[in-house]
Amino acid sequence: MEKELEELKISLKKELEKGKKEADILNIKSLYVGKKSRISELLTKLKDMSNEDKRKYGSLINNTKKELEELVNEALEKISSVSNVSFDDTVDYDVEVGSLHPITIVAKEVTDILKRMGFTVVQGFEMESEYYNFEALNVPKDHPARDMQDTYYLDNGMLLRTQTSGDQIHSMEKFGAPLRICSPGRTFRNEDLDANHENTFFQIEGMVIDKGISIENLVYVMKEILSEIFHQDVDVRLRPGFFPFTEPSYELDCSCLICGGKGCPTCKHSGWLELAPGGMVHPNVLKAGGIDPEVYNGFAFGIGLTRLAMMKYKINDIRVLNSGDLRYLSNFKIN
Amino acid sequence: MLLSCNRLKSYIKDSKTIDWLKIWDTFTIRTAEVEGVKVVGNGFDGVVVAEIKECCEHPDSDHMHILQVDCGTGELVQVVCGAPNVRVGLKTAYVKVGGHIDSVEIKARPLRGVLSNGMCCSGKELGISDNHDGIMELPNDAQNGMSIKELYPFIDDIIVEIDNKSLTNRPDLWGHYGIAREIAAITNHELLPLEIEEVPNDKENLDIVIKDPHLCLRYCGLKIENIKNNTTPMEMQVFLYYVGMRSINLLVDLTNYLMMELGQPMHAFDARVVKSIEVGLANDNDTYTTLDGEERKLTHDMLMIKNGDKYFGIAGVMGGLDSEILPDTTSVFLESATFNAGSIRKTAVALGLRTEASSRYEKSLDPNMTIIALKRLVYLLHQENPNMKIVSNLTDIYPTKVTEGQITLKKKTVNMYMGKTMDEEVIKDILERLEFKVRLEDEAYLVTVPTFRHTKDISIEQDLIEEIARIYGFENLDPKPLKLDLVADEKDSIFNQEYELKHLLAVKYNFHEVHSYIWYDTENLKMLNITKDNVKVLGKQENNILRDDLSLSLMNIVYNNLKNYNKFKIMEIGTIIKNNQNKRVLSLIIVDEEKYLENSYNEAKNIVKYLFKVLKNIDIEYKDNVNEYSYYNESLGKVILVNKEVIGEINVLNKSYASKLAKKKAIVCVDIDMDKYEVLNKNTILAPEVSKYPVVTLDYTIILNNKKYIDLQNILKEFKNKLILKWELIGIFENKYTIRYTIGSLNKTLEQNDIMKFKEKVLEHLKNNNLSLGE
Repeated sequence: MEKELEELKISLKKELEKGKKEADILNIKSLYVGKKSRISELLTKLKDMSNEDKRKYGSLINNTKKELEELVNEALEKISSVSNVSFDDTVDYDVEVGSLHPITIVAKEVTDILKRMGFTVVQGFEMESEYYNFEALNVPKDHPARDMQDTYYLDNGMLLRTQTSGDQIHSMEKFGAPLRICSPGRTFRNEDLDANHENTFFQIEGMVIDKGISIENLVYVMKEILSEIFHQDVDVRLRPGFFPFTEPSYELDCSCLICGGKGCPTCKHSGWLELAPGGMVHPNVLKAGGIDPEVYNGFAFGIGLTRLAMMKYKINDIRVLNSGDLRYLSNFKIN
Repeated sequence: MLLSCNRLKSYIKDSKTIDWLKIWDTFTIRTAEVEGVKVVGNGFDGVVVAEIKECCEHPDSDHMHILQVDCGTGELVQVVCGAPNVRVGLKTAYVKVGGHIDSVEIKARPLRGVLSNGMCCSGKELGISDNHDGIMELPNDAQNGMSIKELYPFIDDIIVEIDNKSLTNRPDLWGHYGIAREIAAITNHELLPLEIEEVPNDKENLDIVIKDPHLCLRYCGLKIENIKNNTTPMEMQVFLYYVGMRSINLLVDLTNYLMMELGQPMHAFDARVVKSIEVGLANDNDTYTTLDGEERKLTHDMLMIKNGDKYFGIAGVMGGLDSEILPDTTSVFLESATFNAGSIRKTAVALGLRTEASSRYEKSLDPNMTIIALKRLVYLLHQENPNMKIVSNLTDIYPTKVTEGQITLKKKTVNMYMGKTMDEEVIKDILERLEFKVRLEDEAYLVTVPTFRHTKDISIEQDLIEEIARIYGFENLDPKPLKLDLVADEKDSIFNQEYELKHLLAVKYNFHEVHSYIWYDTENLKMLNITKDNVKVLGKQENNILRDDLSLSLMNIVYNNLKNYNKFKIMEIGTIIKNNQNKRVLSLIIVDEEKYLENSYNEAKNIVKYLFKVLKNIDIEYKDNVNEYSYYNESLGKVILVNKEVIGEINVLNKSYASKLAKKKAIVCVDIDMDKYEVLNKNTILAPEVSKYPVVTLDYTIILNNKKYIDLQNILKEFKNKLILKWELIGIFENKYTIRYTIGSLNKTLEQNDIMKFKEKVLEHLKNNNLSLGE
């Protein structure tokens, strides 16, 4: 009896090893532990046995049945975890990902920085009046910037703004002093297109008005902004510049990020990049915005967002930006 | 503008103590941007004076000669030369064997079989002139064998290029003398006075009349005769060449030299043809031929110089052919004038003729410069023509005198702008170095502004602060943070709202953001056969109509991308001009196969619903639209409603238009009014009461015949029951719409009886509305 039971176990193990599919195992199961299996037969015979035999074999047969069942179950589990996969688990599709325009990404970064510094983000109008684009900004009637060949004038007496600086006036009118605003937006100049020139490009305007603002404040803020934008300390230098809406006016250069100031083609071998024109707000501009220049002063600056985006992403042809060509633009995944 | 450092040095005392290669970095941050610094005159060596002693024709060449030259060595050297001006007795520049030109070593080598030991060279070959007509002709007293650089030490020079744009507001810097004044101020050197010749006023005045004194601010004239020598000294020739001018003859060169030296344009007329000078406006449609041979059409706002009753030159822009200095001229009428900057600029722009003179005049030159320039020219001309005769008074017509300016510069203003208390002596010193006169008062500096800074540059306190700050040095200021102000933004900016939308669309729906132009692409409209009438850009023939439909303006981008992609989704938030107003619009465009139109269309609807739900917590509605534009499909147009107000549209480009972009494509467009979107308040979210008892879902498949979902929706909206927690459309198959009701109670678990009653009511409502259930 013991021998037979032991043989049953061994032969079941052999059978199970041969079984490849779940169905095979189930067949084996019914053969070895099913109603018509030898073990079931032995169990039925048990009741006809003598009490002594019952005692002797009862638990042995029962335990063997359990062992057989366990063997079958183990085999079933094994088979279901290994070969039950009915699909190709190596398939690898491309992930579809949308994209934001490089200018949007850069504008977001810059406005976030300015917001952290306490600037309110405003937005102006692309179609603007001569008053807000020029007159209120102290640009005289015969100034070259007001020429037809530089400015897009419209047949309704308006124009396409040549700068975001008009938002200085809008903001002063809306918020009064003190004031800390920035205004990203699209501007237009009558230019022939080539790899470096666009008639439609983006700037961000910044303006601070308060009591007793100094050039030193301007230098500090500009240095902060640029260091944040480029995620590194940058050297800045001011050069005298000329803009009708600021006095004193400056051109702000930052140390060339490509060559680190040693000189390269990008910075025309000067080690400096012209990045942010600005200056102390001209008293006439404050007056135009309804602010008393005897009480308040301030500074304003502009940063070319298109320029920044081109630097950041090493875009060598400005025309890509307004092309809508997804072969380029779809690469600017959101980060 | 190009500058010669040799020239600059001549105006500054002890100029040797300035490093002329390095000073330009400082100049850039103190005054104006320097674009380049170049050492010139170092391209050659071994070039000496040589005299041609013998000259015979080359046997194998029709133009070459075989020369024997004396280059100071005591022996004649044989040189083959192809220049036409070779002749015995000529002293010329000769490059010895082993010498270099343009860094190329000159070797003894045969030229068509005859050995040439070195070469004779032209001014162009030496890089000191553009003259390549022949070999150089040196003065007869030049010593044979002398190095050219010893003979002409001014050949070694440093040439500096200044960015003209950075000089727009500095009329005083358009000549070398003004630049020298800046450098003297920056380096604390002394500026030397110019040598000029006073002209005695003991003769007759010239006949000069200014008709429009507001356009011609000053006109000085002088007549000189007996000018026999019209050859420009070598030093001036080389200088003019280095700063980009062509040397013509002494009289013309002197006027150009003065323009380069003082920034004052001048004109020399042939005195034989000058009768009387009148400065006045032209007549419309008159024509005039300028010095360059071009016939120019004039208008009534162009200022002209007239000789008698004939045009003689376009004031401040260019002279005419008939006033040109001819080779046989010995008498000259000199003009030194100042014109209205705006008028000159407009004339130059209108004629498309921007000259060295006009680009200076348009900066607002100092009228007091005219007379200095004239006296300086007389001085220089006299040096070359000791026997010349001044035959007129220096006639000076100066209707309104430009005077020095007076500015009270408050100490507290200076200190505020500089961020620190400035030493009074420092300020006084800086201003005086720049030739301002300063009187110190208790609270202020009384500053007198010289006329050369007063024409437009310096008029208010802040202008003086700029002068102080730049010479003091921005790098000497300590950057200081702003005072902290804790003021919160009153509202989320439109910029942020736009970003949030675009970000969500890119992240969740894989849209690609594009930027397009504010005007329609003319070509694209033509291709689509759509005509648009809106605000136009003046002076442009193409791409001149501003867009009033953002989605339509994106069709150009759709068209171009269809060349590379079968399906895509693009978005833009941009400005359109509608009813003469700026309007911000979000446009979404879904491009896919025509057979998937239903998918694209429903996706568009779902996206809009989602955006409003997520970003504003607002449930939008759709309503059939009466399309404004015929290029959109009449029956598929929908308006997007928020609280019954239209906030946008969904449209499908008509097949006849879409097929022009590509075959079998469906283009679904969404336009959302961002101006309205921006001011929509977010609906507040209130925590709902949630039942602790289980809910029951019941699905009904309803057959719709000749009805749309919206009809079913309206019918079901009318079915009200307190057990309904929500109902939704979960699927459509053909005309069978499956609706799922979720029912439940806050107080108890629903019993079979409650459910049965509910079911009966649903069926009754459907029946009353003539709806039947499917399988």
